[in-house]
Order: sequence, then C-alpha cells, then structure tokens
Amino acid sequence: MESAPGPNAIAKPMLPPTELTQFFWDAAKAHKLAIQRCDDCQHYQHWPQVRCSKCGSDRLSPSEVSGKGSIYSFCIVHHLFHPGFAADVPYSLAIVELDEQPGLRVIANIVDCANEAVSVGMAVEVTFEEREGYTLPQFKPAARAEMKA
Amino acid sequence: MKGLAREVAIVGVGASAVTRNGAPLVEHLTVTACRNALDDAGLTGRDIDGVFQYSFGWDSPDCHYVQQALGIPDLAAYVDVGAMGPSGLGGALAGIMAVASGACDTAVVFRAISQSAGNTGSARGGGAPAGAMGASFPFTMPYGYFPIIPAIGLMMRRRIAELGASQEDYGYIAINARKWAAMNERAVLREPITMEDYLNSRLLADPLRLFDCDYPVSGASAVVITTAERARDLRKRPVAVDAIAYATGPNPDWLQAEDFIFGATRRCAERLWSRASVTASDVDLVELYDGFTHITISWIEALGFCGIGEAGEFLDKGRRIGPGGELPLNTHGGQLAAGRLHGLAHLVEAVSQLRGECGERQVPDARVAVVTNGHGPQTGALVLRTL
Repeated sequence: MESAPGPNAIAKPMLPPTELTQFFWDAAKAHKLAIQRCDDCQHYQHWPQVRCSKCGSDRLSPSEVSGKGSIYSFCIVHHLFHPGFAADVPYSLAIVELDEQPGLRVIANIVDCANEAVSVGMAVEVTFEEREGYTLPQFKPAARAEMKA
Repeated sequence: MKGLAREVAIVGVGASAVTRNGAPLVEHLTVTACRNALDDAGLTGRDIDGVFQYSFGWDSPDCHYVQQALGIPDLAAYVDVGAMGPSGLGGALAGIMAVASGACDTAVVFRAISQSAGNTGSARGGGAPAGAMGASFPFTMPYGYFPIIPAIGLMMRRRIAELGASQEDYGYIAINARKWAAMNERAVLREPITMEDYLNSRLLADPLRLFDCDYPVSGASAVVITTAERARDLRKRPVAVDAIAYATGPNPDWLQAEDFIFGATRRCAERLWSRASVTASDVDLVELYDGFTHITISWIEALGFCGIGEAGEFLDKGRRIGPGGELPLNTHGGQLAAGRLHGLAHLVEAVSQLRGECGERQVPDARVAVVTNGHGPQTGALVLRTL
C-alpha cells in the first residue's frame, strides 16, 4: 500500500466525511487514532452511531486510543474489486481488535509486513498512510512482537 | 410460541428459465415464475390477496407491478422486503406471517434477479446508504474492503484459526453442489468437480476461492402460500409450514457481530427449533443457503446436525450430504451450481422434494425439510413438513 499512485492512477474510494465521521479523519491527520466513546458508560463503538449501543446515551465523544491491538482475522485480497487497487493486489485486509475493549474492531491493511507473514493473533500497532487529501490509519507489526491469544 | 396463529401451507411453486448469459427483462422473469406457481396451485390472480417479495434495492419489480400483471383485484397485504432481509426467504417469511395472522388469505411470493451479464463482485459506485448498510463504508472502502466477498474470507480465516477447520471442509460443500446439479436439468453448472479442482480455483480473498462463491444467473422463483384449511382443496399435495424464525444477533453488522464466524445463524436455529414440532433428528433433507460455502457450513453446525467446528468430520468427505447420504443437502445443486436465485429456489426445491416430484434426485420418503437463508445479521429459516 506504500506505492504512490502515478499521475493517471484511479484514486482509491473515499467517502466525504459527515458529522458522525469527521473526527476520525481529523485525528488521523494529526496521526492519532480516535474512536467514538460514550461519556456516560465509557463504551467504545465503531462505526460511529448516533446513540451509545450499550446504554443508549447520546453523549458521545471522540476518544484517542493507544493504537495497539491484535489481528482478529485477515484475508489476502487477490480480486480487483475497485480499479484504485490495481497496483496493490494481492493486499492484506485485516480486522484489528483494539486493546481498549474486547470486540472493538477496526479494518486496516497490514503494512510493513509481507502478506505471508500476517497471522491471526499477531500484535500490531497503528501507523499512518498519507493519501491525496487525507491521512489513513493503518496497522503494522508491533515493535515488540508479543503474541496475543 | 409454538406453531403459527393459523396453520399455513405452501400450495404452489414456480420458476422462470434460468440463464447464464444475456440480460432478460426482470419483469418477464417475475411474471413467468408467478404464473407458473399459480398454475401449479390451480389458482388465478383473482384468488390472490397478498404479494410479497425480497429485493436488493430496485433489482426486481415491486408488488404493485406484479398485482397488475397477475390480474389481482386488490391486495389485503403486501411487502417489498428491503435489502437487509434474509434474502429471498424474507419474502416468504413475510407472506407466511401475513397468512398466519389473517392479514391476507392467499399470497404470491417471488424473488427475481437479472444479472447474468456478469456480477463480478466489483464495487458499485455511489455513496453510502443510510443506516446499517452504509455505516461501515467510510471505514472500509479506503482499505479495499467491499461487501461482501472479503467479509466471508475474513470469517473463513477466523473459523480455520479458532475452530481448527480446513479448506477441504469448504471444498466438500462445493463438490456436493455439482453432484446434485448433475441430476437437475435446470442447473447451470452440472459438470462434477474434484477437491483438486476446488483447491486450484482462483483465490479472491484468500482463503476464499472462486468455487466458494455461488454463480450469477438470471431467473425468478415463486411460491403460493395459503391456510392449511384452504390448501386441502387445491390441486397439489400441500406442504405445511411447521415453524419460522428470524435472527439478527447483537451488533447487527457483518464485521462487528459478536458471533463473527456464525453471524446470527446460531440464534436463528435455536429459535427455529424452540418453535418446531420436530427436531433435527426428524429432518429428511436440508436446503441451506450457499451464497458462499462458509454460510452452508455455518448453518449445518448452527442447526445442530453436528457440534460447533465439527462439520469437517461430519461431512464424511461429502458422503453424508450427497445423494444417498443421511442428510441430503441442496438437492437442486444450490446456488453454487444451480445459480444465484437468491434463496427462494431453496424453498421451491424443498417443497418439490416433500411432494415427491424430484425424479432422479428425489430423496426417498421425504417428510421434513429445513430451509435457511442468509448469514451475518440477516438470517431466516423455516421447517416444512408434509400434511
């Protein structure tokens, strides 16, 4: 995913931020990973919602997280679903479970890591990929390669 | 709740031609399937007062169009079930509930799809739909995640890692579909495949391969539903709906579901058996959704035919689910081999089997069948039995 797109490359799809999602992209630009959190019960939820899915509160705020987690599952995408990924196939696509809360999952590509080396349970940490017009949180193998169950 | 408020039966089944190429008018497919189902029941549009269908966006004609095309004077109940329903069975479940409740007496249900010009799994353009369907899009599309093939690949990887499953488990489902399809002249992929063929098929979202996926076709399926009381006076041997169930599970989302590997299939199966007058050991055949082989494996375990993570051994190299096996599975070839008719063809096949109309592929003395659709947070199921 590090390859810079050429002048004629088709851009990868990116939806315009909304009032629910803007904070995530603002944080990423500052090289921080932020997840929506309930002010009342402290439950994290991703994707952002208009109410807390645990206690129903509408008092929700962006909350910076450690960016550490482990790979819950992954696949290696060979099929070209979108022309913006023509230079990337085959690429890794992972569900990363963040350390902050069991079941708190984000999607990422595992960068700085050969596809063959990606594994379920691998400890990973956030890194940031600069793209035209936005910054994208990504994950790479954790500096201390501690394995998680 | 045991049973339904009014006893309900399926009294007619119908289908259109199923094609791999070209782009037939979806309206034509729909009306052909519905008319064939009415003829099968010995009814006309004037006997119908309910229409139900599942559509994914506007990919099939609405209930009003079908009302007019079939000459139905008025609809006492109708629902165009939206995309988050449990595939084609979603229309049938809605129709069953309407007849059971007395909202209508005799309903036509259809699912029509015209996509044989090629659904390659490519991403569709446009923004994110409102609600659950689109909530993930901003956080997945930039990474090259597009519904739904990678989600299934992720589930397969987790199943292999957590439950010790193997690639071959999935292969037996794909091979099984072709075995049955060889006996169904309407199936589109009738050539047998081997495990080697399966393992050599193209990787799409490793570990998910091409032969884990159903095959895009154009075609329509339809059923006619009425009260069991009325059913006894109609042309064909009626098939009773013993129990129905839906489930979505907590965190109803393909990627965020608590039960990631199984989606809501386990809850749906549990609910189904809690309502049924029969048990898993009474089942003579199963028509389990096979948009992907992973879905079928999930349902086999969810329904309790074997323990969780034990499908590989249970399948007995495919013998258990094949012709002559103890648990005949997807006896028309399923979507993997008879084409992606989006779930309702599974119901048509189950009814045909329970009537004893399946010729070469007929399961002897079939009296009880289970039909399931969907995975993730979109599951539905029913039990059928002979009256």
